[in-house]
Amino acid sequence: MEYLYDNYSGALYGVIFRILKKEEIAEEVLQDVFLKIWDRFENYDASKGKLFTWLLNVTRNQAIDKTRSKEISKDQKTTPIEKVVSRIDNEEYIEQRIDGIGVSEILKVLSTDQQFVVEYLYFKGYTQSELAEEFDIPLGTVKTRLRLAMQQLRITLGVTT
Amino acid sequence: MNIVEYISSGILEAYALGELTEQERALVEKNLTQYPELRTELQRVEEAQEALLMQMAIVPRKAVRENLFQKIDARKPEAKVVPLQADQSNFWRFAVAASVTIAIVASYFAYDYRSKWMNSQGQLTELIAQNQRVAQDYNTVNQRLDKIESDLKIVDNPDFKRVVMKGTEGAPESMAYVYWNESTREVYLSVQNMRALAQENQYQLWAIIDGKPVDAGVFDTNLAGLLKMKEIGNGAAAFAVTIEPRGGKASPSLETMQVVGNVVKG
Repeated sequence: MEYLYDNYSGALYGVIFRILKKEEIAEEVLQDVFLKIWDRFENYDASKGKLFTWLLNVTRNQAIDKTRSKEISKDQKTTPIEKVVSRIDNEEYIEQRIDGIGVSEILKVLSTDQQFVVEYLYFKGYTQSELAEEFDIPLGTVKTRLRLAMQQLRITLGVTT
Repeated sequence: MNIVEYISSGILEAYALGELTEQERALVEKNLTQYPELRTELQRVEEAQEALLMQMAIVPRKAVRENLFQKIDARKPEAKVVPLQADQSNFWRFAVAASVTIAIVASYFAYDYRSKWMNSQGQLTELIAQNQRVAQDYNTVNQRLDKIESDLKIVDNPDFKRVVMKGTEGAPESMAYVYWNESTREVYLSVQNMRALAQENQYQLWAIIDGKPVDAGVFDTNLAGLLKMKEIGNGAAAFAVTIEPRGGKASPSLETMQVVGNVVKG
């Protein structure tokens, strides 16, 4: 469990924090996520995907559920990502892996449309169908845009397989 | 199914994002087992996703970690995750402690079992000795019984004449019987009451045939049951016992006669 936490808590917290924006709530959700992982670890089936994918799914569901609770209102979802980055810069994170690169830095390689989809799906707590509905984009288009974005990121991030 | 089309629809990205419904997921999972190229593509998608989010990681405050593991520790009785590497020093400390404990326990048992074994061995020896004594006793009793049975046959046999020899003036309390079978010439002696003799002397039985004493053998007083004596043929009128030097003599010392009795005719 320590291994899981030390390896993945940063990546998962990155998602949680960007979705929820409030440290207090994000930390609570991170804890809930790991307790859930602890409780349900036997549900993980390696034949159905990578461990990180499973962890991310648990995390994303938990964070999205939280946005729907009364503590968080939907309008908070649109807080600019720059705030998150500045908060990161202000704190004492020596082990910080982000090196001052915000979401936008990495996502700059993408087209505006692709960037939009990735940001909303991964860091703003939108589901694909919510995104399609709210911004009046066909669901199929959301899916193919995400695919194209991930293909581009694969090259940018040097994923060679 | 057109795999290229299927992949380019973005369904694998949606799968990796955890967006699909139960049925959609199940269908993708079924397809994954059937099409290896689908599995390879999913791996690429997952790796890109992981790489992106790793790049976007934000390390949570240390307190979160401590807090979390306190909560997990509290749930530990139903522990599920076994730490891969145990603390080395703790392991050795435990190993040494365990070895010492095992050694002590083993020594104790060795000692305990040895003393129990010795005890058992002693008891076994005793039992074997007891068993031998019992067997000996049994044999003795058996022999005695056989003797009594054979004696009884003689005593009961009408072919044997019983001659009661009573004490003489020199030994009025003494008494002995002779059982004599005239036809088979067998003679048996039964001492009823005769005093013990000095080591150098023995009693000697005589048959009186035609007025002359005939040696019928020597005996001691410590007899059990009947004692077979020398054979005596027809014509014995009486039996008598004298005290003679050990081994007996050819002719009796009549002055030492202890008991005497006449053969009852008929």
